[in-house]
Amino acid sequence: MTVLATAMGCSFLIVLASVGFGLQSSIVDGLVGDRLVTEIDIWGKESGGKTSNELTDDDLNALRAFEHVKTVTYRNHVQQSLGKTVDGTNVSGPTIIVDFEAETKAGFELSAGRLPQAANEIVIGYNIREQDPVPSADGRDETAAQPKQPSEPASGWIGKTMRLEVTQMVNGAEQKTPLDATIVGVTKQPTREWLKDRVVYIGEPLLEQIEAITGTQFGAVMPAEPENVPKEQLPRSPDEPRRYGEVQVIAENAQYVKGIGERLRAAGYLNHSVANELEQINIVFLIMKIGLVFVGTIAVLIASIGIYNTMTMAVTERTQDIGIMKAIGAHPSAIRRVFLLESGMIGLAGAAIGIVVSYALSVAVNATLPVLIESFVEEKLPDGFRFSLIPPVLTALAAAISLGVAVLSGARPARRATRIDVLRALRRDV
Amino acid sequence: MIELNGVSHQFMIGKKGKERIVPVLHHIDMRVERGEIVAIVGRSGSGKSTLLNLISGYIRPTSGEIKVMDKTVTKLGEGEWANFRLAHFGFMFQSFQLIPSMTAFENVELPLVLRGVSPRQRTKRVHEMLERVGLAEFASHYPGELSGGQQQRVSVARALVLSPPIVLADEPTGSLDSENERELLRLIRKLNREHGVTFLIITHDEQVAAVAHRRIAIRDGRIDPQITL
Repeated sequence: MTVLATAMGCSFLIVLASVGFGLQSSIVDGLVGDRLVTEIDIWGKESGGKTSNELTDDDLNALRAFEHVKTVTYRNHVQQSLGKTVDGTNVSGPTIIVDFEAETKAGFELSAGRLPQAANEIVIGYNIREQDPVPSADGRDETAAQPKQPSEPASGWIGKTMRLEVTQMVNGAEQKTPLDATIVGVTKQPTREWLKDRVVYIGEPLLEQIEAITGTQFGAVMPAEPENVPKEQLPRSPDEPRRYGEVQVIAENAQYVKGIGERLRAAGYLNHSVANELEQINIVFLIMKIGLVFVGTIAVLIASIGIYNTMTMAVTERTQDIGIMKAIGAHPSAIRRVFLLESGMIGLAGAAIGIVVSYALSVAVNATLPVLIESFVEEKLPDGFRFSLIPPVLTALAAAISLGVAVLSGARPARRATRIDVLRALRRDV
Repeated sequence: MIELNGVSHQFMIGKKGKERIVPVLHHIDMRVERGEIVAIVGRSGSGKSTLLNLISGYIRPTSGEIKVMDKTVTKLGEGEWANFRLAHFGFMFQSFQLIPSMTAFENVELPLVLRGVSPRQRTKRVHEMLERVGLAEFASHYPGELSGGQQQRVSVARALVLSPPIVLADEPTGSLDSENERELLRLIRKLNREHGVTFLIITHDEQVAAVAHRRIAIRDGRIDPQITL
């Protein structure tokens, strides 16, 4: 029964604290989402009291020179639709220019194929072949009423040619120049169901081909009457310094993110990382987990009263045995060790049972609580939301607490055992 | 081997605040040499057991000095006494004092466990001892499943398992029938003769005293020189 009480205390401690771990994991996962914890977003630069959100090649080089920076990535949009088709199928979605070498270092993951190696090779988004729901005239989603056609996987287009129609203005008239690119890879499926990746990713060499056709940066289409447009609104020439957007600094390791962020800020680069958000949240959850462990430990301490009683009774019942051992030469420390070991075994056995029970309870909580909540609140919880999570560190901590409390509970009875008078003990009849 | 010089002991009995002193032993001077069988004889209440308890270290003398193996043991702490006892003494008790929840094997093994002997060596040594006392096939029996004579033989095996130089025996035949008593006395003589074990035996039994090389009589807490041989 003492072992059972210890098991219950240990189980209660683990399940209670697991709620803190589970909620933290669910909320942090939701916060981080697709973002890496080593990413630092550079959203602007402060210089001479002015803030600009465009960075130049010099800025990128300066960012790369910071200590513990693994790589710097950017994403710029091709500034026209390009009329993309594959086997006659229109492909909608933006075309983004990336530095594939930097993206590789940053961990740009593919679900199929490979990253481009040649100039005219491209990567497509995972959801590029999915159809959007077509809204009806009154705004209702018609496709919801139609039987759904499963979309073809994007990986089916690997090896195929995507035709890009580059539009340029020649003597005031639109002219389209075809460019062919080979699809070699498909991006990884977004972690969130509502996120759709329908982007076409191209590298610098293909951009240069587009810019050579349009004569403008990022393939922007010159207006029909450029002489009537203010100069600052005209597309820039490819020879002018390029401006980069969606710049990200990728740290070598999550531990360097904070330091790099501070140094970037000191150098005038306005930045933000998920680490900033995580830091505050983690502090709150740490306090919460400590509190839960503390409350759970109280349950273990209550169980320790049983251990104390059990060991006290054991010493009383085995007084003669202890007397015999002392009579033949048992050292007091040996006697004490016997009883501390016994109380320790109660703690360990209770912890072992408690851990098994707590894992079972955790599974039950994660399975049933969302159903209960959704039935009352009538709202769906996010996918993968967990109420209870038992990491190995929690199991080890609970076992250590159970063992420690058990040994402490047995300490006083063990000390009593060493003080048993030999002669009085030997005089007892069995 | 065992030397007592001017050893006296008194007990405090009665409730706290109203204790009275009861003197038990008065200025005991005695020696036990190596290889001797010495019987301490005397009537009930003469102080024989108290004398043995002092030599065993279960109680401390009120005054005087006790030396065992040339070491003054009177002022040893509890832990030191435990180690000394384990290394130098074997014990035989009137009521055997076997641990009821342990088998004969485990009871004999106990001193070896306390000494830190390895499991393999322990097993070998215990089987040897049980063979020597003729109880090899009773190793897995509990004390409750053994006769009085068998229990005393287990007790002898336990007393000798660490090959102590001295065995202290308090009325070792007190719970035995005559046949088992004779058997035990034969064993004591044999151990003394063949292995040089020194025995200090408390007894009021004439037959037990007869195996001793020497008798020391205690009367009213003093050594009676007229009876001592």
